[in-house]
Amino acid sequence: MLGFLIGEALRDLRRAGRVAVSAIVLITLSLAALGGFWLLSANLERAVARWRERVRIIVYLKREPAPAEAKALVEQVQAVPGVAGVLYIGKAEALASLRQLLGKDASVVAQLPANPLPASLEVTPAAAAATPEGARALVERLSTLPEADEVAGSGDWVERLSQWQRLLTTIGLGIGIVLAAAAFLTVTTATTLILHARREETEIMRLVGATEATIWLPLLLQGTMQGLIGAVLALAALVATHSLVAPRLEPLVSITLGLPDLAFLPPVNVLALVLTGALLGGMGGWLVRPGREP
Amino acid sequence: MIELHRVSKVYSVGPVKVPALSDVSLRVNKGEFVVLTGASGAGKTTLLRLLYRDDLPSDGDVEVFGHDLGALKHRDVAALRRSIGVVFQDAKLLPVRTVYENVAFVLRVLGTPKREITQRVFDALRVVGLSSRAQAYPAQLSQGEAQRASLARAIVRKPPLLLADEPTGNLDEAMEDEILGTLRDIWAGGTTVVLATHQTYLAQALRRRTLTLQSGRLVKDEG
Repeated sequence: MLGFLIGEALRDLRRAGRVAVSAIVLITLSLAALGGFWLLSANLERAVARWRERVRIIVYLKREPAPAEAKALVEQVQAVPGVAGVLYIGKAEALASLRQLLGKDASVVAQLPANPLPASLEVTPAAAAATPEGARALVERLSTLPEADEVAGSGDWVERLSQWQRLLTTIGLGIGIVLAAAAFLTVTTATTLILHARREETEIMRLVGATEATIWLPLLLQGTMQGLIGAVLALAALVATHSLVAPRLEPLVSITLGLPDLAFLPPVNVLALVLTGALLGGMGGWLVRPGREP
Repeated sequence: MIELHRVSKVYSVGPVKVPALSDVSLRVNKGEFVVLTGASGAGKTTLLRLLYRDDLPSDGDVEVFGHDLGALKHRDVAALRRSIGVVFQDAKLLPVRTVYENVAFVLRVLGTPKREITQRVFDALRVVGLSSRAQAYPAQLSQGEAQRASLARAIVRKPPLLLADEPTGNLDEAMEDEILGTLRDIWAGGTTVVLATHQTYLAQALRRRTLTLQSGRLVKDEG
């Protein structure tokens, strides 16, 4: 029976001809658009996650505390809500870091009459405080420390990156939905044509006692096939584009976003694309199924 | 096998009510060959359609194989039709399929195992004398051959009841004889046959029980 149903579905696909091809092309385009934006968004999400981990708040101190005072201060700040970690950086360490940063120009430092750099505390916010609001609240709390001269740093720009990522996902979904609606309508048109072409078969099937499921399953299957073919083509296009473009973009992405590579879609998204295609086509086939007899 | 009790059927064409059958009661027993005759529009096709539950009566009860068709659920309609073969005036063959494929289509639709299909299709084609035309397409058949292919499709499931609606309506005399001969053979094999025809001379030639309809009323039951 399954062989019969699949055979009839393939026959129906051939009958729909160019309209079925149009439906497949539209499904391919909609899923490729959705997948493309998903791919960009997924990589931006990776970048956001990496940069969120690197958000630091620096508490510049009014004066360099004695080692015992510094230890007590670190413990005091560690107890502030929203703080995941605290690192004390003395004036000498700060200067050493500056020398390292300046590299071959480090000799400039030697000409300074005194170390101008303040001692500081490098505060790592907890995950809950790594949002713009959380970071701002933490900055306010740290500013109340009597030892604090100035408190700097927040995750604002990381959040802007995150907003871009969300915007991209929304645009991708929007374009995907518009194209998917067009694809869906084309599948229903193809199925309507098929229904018209197979009305004699349908009549005979009913006459000989075929169940309603046997009558509409080939229609559902041909729609699902259109969706699956479209999804596979979209994935093939995405894989080809990714393998061509990613190596060229990776140096730029490494500098700007700090990502070592541009990853392809995770398996769950690939599966979602395939299922979306199948669902889109299947629904088109299902909705146009012949009505029941009186 | 078939029982109609005070069956009426009225079609509504907009505000106009057109009676097709009026107060028809009859009984057909298992193994009978019944000829249903009457002029065009007498209600023969309507009566047959009620028998294979293509339509429901406006009034009265139709029983086939002991089932009250008015009370039958959708899934049971399909089961009922698997026990009934139907042949029409136009053979209703699928034009893009060969004779073999047309007959096999019925078995495939009903999920018959592949290994059985070939044997059963050729058995049916042998009964109607069309084995040599198995690979022909409907367009390559004469009207008589097309009608015999249609008969093969109707009997390939070996249904206990065969309904034939004007199967000789489009045929010349020689071809009529062929079809009637085939119907007789099918009946002789144990199938109950109800043949609807407006050609009254066929009923006389067949010398079987004849039911005559006139303007939707059963006016004669003889033989």
